[in-house]
This record gives sequence, structure tokens and C-alpha cells, in this order.
Amino acid sequence: MPGIIYKKWLAVMLAFMALFLTSCGEKEAERGKLIMVTNATFPPYEFYQGSRIVGIDADMVREIAKRNDLELVIEDMAFDSVIAAVQTGKADVAASGITVTEDRKKQIDFTTSYVKADQVIIVRKDSDIVGPESMRGKRIGVQHGTTGDMYVTENLQEPERFQDGALAVASLVTGKIHAVVLDSAPAEEHVARNKGIRILPMALVSEEYAMAISKSRPELLAMFNRTMAEMKVDGTMDAIWARYLDKDGKPLAVPAVEAEEDKGMWARLADSFEVNFVKDDRWHYLVDGFLVTIEISACAVLMGLCIGFLVAVVRSAHDQTGRYKVLNFLCHIYLTVVRGTPVVVQLLIIYFVIFGSVDVSKVLVAIVAFGVNSGAYVAEIIRSGIMAVDSGQMEAGRSLGLSYGTTMRSVILPQAFKNVLPALGNEFIVLLKETSVCGYIALQDLTKGGDIIRSQTYDAFLPLIAVALTYLVVVVCLSQLLKKLENSLKKNER
Amino acid sequence: MNADNILEVRELVKEFGDHRVIDGVSVGVKKGEVVFLLGPSGAGKSTVMRCMNFLETPTGGEVLFHGQPVDRSENGLNHYRSKVGMVFQHFNLFANLSILDNITLAPVKCGLMSRTEAETQALHLLHRIGLRDKAKAYPSQLSGGQKQRVAIVRALAMNPEVLLFDEPTSALDPEMVGEVENLMRELARDGMTMLVVSHDTDFAMELADRIVFLADGKLVVDAPPAVIAASDNPRIRDFFSIR
Repeated sequence: MPGIIYKKWLAVMLAFMALFLTSCGEKEAERGKLIMVTNATFPPYEFYQGSRIVGIDADMVREIAKRNDLELVIEDMAFDSVIAAVQTGKADVAASGITVTEDRKKQIDFTTSYVKADQVIIVRKDSDIVGPESMRGKRIGVQHGTTGDMYVTENLQEPERFQDGALAVASLVTGKIHAVVLDSAPAEEHVARNKGIRILPMALVSEEYAMAISKSRPELLAMFNRTMAEMKVDGTMDAIWARYLDKDGKPLAVPAVEAEEDKGMWARLADSFEVNFVKDDRWHYLVDGFLVTIEISACAVLMGLCIGFLVAVVRSAHDQTGRYKVLNFLCHIYLTVVRGTPVVVQLLIIYFVIFGSVDVSKVLVAIVAFGVNSGAYVAEIIRSGIMAVDSGQMEAGRSLGLSYGTTMRSVILPQAFKNVLPALGNEFIVLLKETSVCGYIALQDLTKGGDIIRSQTYDAFLPLIAVALTYLVVVVCLSQLLKKLENSLKKNER
Repeated sequence: MNADNILEVRELVKEFGDHRVIDGVSVGVKKGEVVFLLGPSGAGKSTVMRCMNFLETPTGGEVLFHGQPVDRSENGLNHYRSKVGMVFQHFNLFANLSILDNITLAPVKCGLMSRTEAETQALHLLHRIGLRDKAKAYPSQLSGGQKQRVAIVRALAMNPEVLLFDEPTSALDPEMVGEVENLMRELARDGMTMLVVSHDTDFAMELADRIVFLADGKLVVDAPPAVIAASDNPRIRDFFSIR
């Protein structure tokens, strides 16, 4: 009997959900933690070495945390989100090569500045660009939200904004853009790793870096300034600097750029594979990210099913019997709002606004955002399945003396589910791929894993292909599972 | 009207928007009677029947069961419908349930009998119509005539006092009409109170105790077949001699 098959699948799904959710409850607010946010694609100030974030900023804050008996937690996110994160209390401090500007001073407080830096222009070796004016009209890349971005926007034109500097440089290297405006230190790092590009010998702007702390935390600000002063005096600051820059301010420990022999395509592919996945165990980013993606998708699917089912039943009952007027109205609002806004925006609102000052696991936030989003679409899918069932079925049920509810449960809903299984499967496949935007809240999923590899190797091809292939394999497996379910339900007909 | 009527409508009015489909019709059926509702298409025959079990809500008039107005509350209607069964033109068997489950669903869910009792009764009924071996089959695997006979038996499983038939053979191939009409003859012979909407005038003349002829939403004549056959109303003569 079909009912048994449903119950089996439901039990399996619920078991998985329980398993995943127990692993979700991670971050509890603890005393003695210092949360730093940064955009870890900015060498030598913050960058990934294996799975650790290191660099001048990272080491500096690590030392400050140690001296004040705090445990340091570093979160990597988009640069244009770090200041918001400090403002909303999601993080204690933002250290990300942030330039001191008057506008930013209005939003947060800055510590004493710790370095002077310049904005410089990077171009390809064969470029005829010599200065800002000769960039006009060409395609200029910047990192979103940085002072380089602001300079170009105010003085020249709308630049092309990238999530991180490495992606901008990668675009320059492949010829997609003509110039990149970036801070001098990371620019040096990028040039050292990429033959084919050079820095123009002129500073566009000179500026200072400082760390950002919420205006409502004066005691934290004082602690930072005090500790930094101590570190300057006892030479720790210099020691940290010396790990990454030589006495001329040029980056240290630059990997020797291999002379480009004329290797065949397969040899180059093998090299690329080694650099992208094997070296430094970079494949970890993909595997760990994959697990996060699966976890979020599975839980969100279940949540979406539950919400969607309830909403669909309320809406159908209201349409058919006129009951539940208030509930129906609420469902209507839910459907309109959720289907009328992009899921990325919903994700950001849930993270920064709804859970703004609460310390919750990012995985939980993602599950809620995608679950609530999916629920709206699932609701309409199920409702259309209910409406597609022949009205004679309900009439027959009622004419035998069965109540509306019993007829729905025993006759209509089972048929409705069978009707919409393809559409539901489709929705879940879409959901799986939609989760790829959770990098916006610095969640390291499969897509973000690929991004991190790209930002370390400047190679776009293999990381992207690997990420795409992984999604593809998952979708194909999911489709097969759904087909099996459909067939086992169809067994009863013909 | 007659105080012996088990089920009757009085001055029934039904409007769909501006269109008055039924215009003051009064029809009743006594215990054990077989009444046929006939008339041209669009006369409102099916609508009268659907108003009787409130699949359509009457705009005006009354529906009386054992002389009392029907309790139209949620529970009242469910209870009433368990006593007044309906057989549909398009069978409306529950597509997701086996034949056996189709028949046992309502008796069990309405609390009439336990599952075992319901199954025993269902198998007995299926045996009576020669379809016991189809108990585990699904509706899509049956022919039209088989489906309709199962539908009748499904309605019978609730031990109704009245059975309403809404054009029971209109959707059947000619060779299957016979098996369904045979079952209906059996039921009539066993004393079931039946109200039938049909296009089959020959069957009506044979089986009916009374024939009610409707046209343009109004009652034209309500009389036994013998009286109808001797009528000089040209419209009636025309209708019945087309066959």
C-alpha cells in the first residue's frame, strides 16, 4: 500500500535531519573570545596558508588576543561586509587592511593606524597605460568597497568590482580587464607570483590602515590601542612585519616562478591539477565545502517540505471550504514576500538583521534562510498538485459521508504528491545549487572552497570545473533517487 | 407532499449567477420506490440530485429527510451523506487505493464498523458482483462497467437508506451498460430506495415506479410509466419516442 512507502521514506529523511541538526549546534557565545573578521585574500596582511589564516593583521590580532587572555576566532568574509559585521556586533574587530577614511569613521571607531600604504595600479607587462588618466575608458578592476574602488569611482569611472583582489588580478592576467587598482603590499605579492604583470611606479593615493571596532565598545578600543603601543615598544610589531616583508617592504618567501617551458597540454593540465588540489592539501577546501553544502541542502529541503506542506494545506482548505481566513491571509503574505525577493537578499537579512546581535551558527542561519525560501515554492507546487486532482475524487469522498479532512488525507493528498513529485524534485535540485551563495555570509561551502583555491593559485579552470562537476554528480544522484521513488509509487498503476 | 417520503425537495430553486437552473421543483421518493428523473439536456436533472446531497448548495427551497430539514452543519452533513449514497457518471473511484480499500475506507473512517468487518463485507459485496478476484487491483486496471459496479458496491457498503444515481451509464460503452443496469435491477428488486437521473428512457419505463419529467428547470409531469406512455403532451411523446 502506498502509505507504507511514504512512511519509509519519511523515516529515512527524518533520521538524516536529526543527524545533521545535532551537528549544527556549534557556536555558543562564550566569554573570553575575540572575534575578528577579515577578507583573507589580501597578502601579506591576511591570507590562507593551508586552512589557517595568517598574515600581518592576523598575527597582530593573535598577539593582542594572547596578551589579553582571549581566544582568537577569525572569520573570513567579503571585504565590504567586515565593517557591517563590527557595527552589528557580529564581530569584535575588523582587521583587513582597512584604510582610514572620514566616512568610515562615522560608522565605526579606528584603532591607531599601524602602517602607511599606497594605492597602486597593476597592468600587464605589455600595457601602454602609464597613469590614472590613461586608464580612462579602459576596463579597471578593483576590490569591492576598498579605497581603490572609491578612488576610481570618484575620479575616473565606474570600475569593475570584484569580491577579492586576487580575482581582479586573475582577470587582468587573462586579459579580461586592463588594469587593477589595489593596495601596494598585496599588489607586490600578486606581481611576485605572476610574471606578466607589473606595478606602475607611482602612488595614486597614500593612506593609513587601522583596525575597526564598534563605537559602543570604547573599552575594547582602548585595549587594542594600549596593547599595540606595548607591542611597538617591545619590538613585537617589527618582528611580525619581518615575517612577511623584507627591510624594503617587499614581500618575503615568494615562491620561485617557474620558467615557462613549452609543455604539452596534458602536462600543463597535470601541473595545474597538482597545484590546485594536491599542493597544500587544497582538495580539503572542496571536500569540507561539499559536506557543508550537503548539510545545508538536506536540512533546508526538509524544512521547506514541512513549511510548504502546511501552507499548501491551509491555502487549499481555504479555497475549497472558506475556513482559516486569518491563517490564509498570513500564508498569502509569506508567499508574496518570500517569492518576491532574491534568496541572497533574504540570506543577508536573516544573518545581519534578524539574527543580527545573536550569536548563531552560520550553518543554522543558512538552513533557515534556504528552508523558508524553499517552503514558499514547495507550497505552491503542492497546492497545484492538490488542485490537479480530479474534483470528482473529493465529491465521491464527501458523498460517502467522509469529512473534508479525511478525504484530503486518504484520497487527495496521496494523489497530489504523486502528481508533483517531478516538480518537487526540480525544486530540490534548484535549492542545492542556490546554496552556493552562502559564501556571502562567509560560510565555506563547496563554491567558496573553489573560490579560496582560485585566490591562492590564480588558476580559474580546474577549481571551477571541479566545483561544477561535484554539483553535477550530486544532482545526477538526486535525480536517480527521485526516479526510484516515482517508480515505486507508480507500481500501483497499470 | 406525501408524508411517507424518505427524501424530498420542496420548491427547490438553484441559480448559478443570473441563470436560474431549477425553478421551484418538488420531488420526493418513498421507501422502496424507484424514481427516474428524465428530461432534455440542461433541464436541471443532475443539479436537482446534487442539491439533494448538497454537492450544490440550493439557492432556495428545502431538502427534507424523513420529513425533517437536513442538518447542514459540518457533522450533520457528513452523517446525512452516510445515509444517502451517490453513484457518479464518471465512477470517481479513489485512484490511489485498491478496490478493496475503496470499499472499506468510508465504513471504517466513519466508525460504522471495524476494519475486519468492513473487509468481510467488501469481499462479500465483490463476490456478489463477480469481482472478488479484483479486490487487490487498482481502479485504472478495471473496465468502465467494472468500475461502475464497484462504485455502486462502494456506496452500498455504507448501508444507505437511499441511493442517488447521476447518469450511471452515460459514460459507458454500450456493451457494458447491461451489466450495470442488471445490478440496478437487482437492487430495485431487493427493495432499495433509488433515485436515478438517466437518458435511457427504455430502462426508465421498465424499472421505474414513477417517472419525473423536467424541462427548463420546471417539473412537467410526475407519474407512473403507464400514465406517461398514455400522455398526449407532445413534448413528452416526442421525448419518449425518439428512443
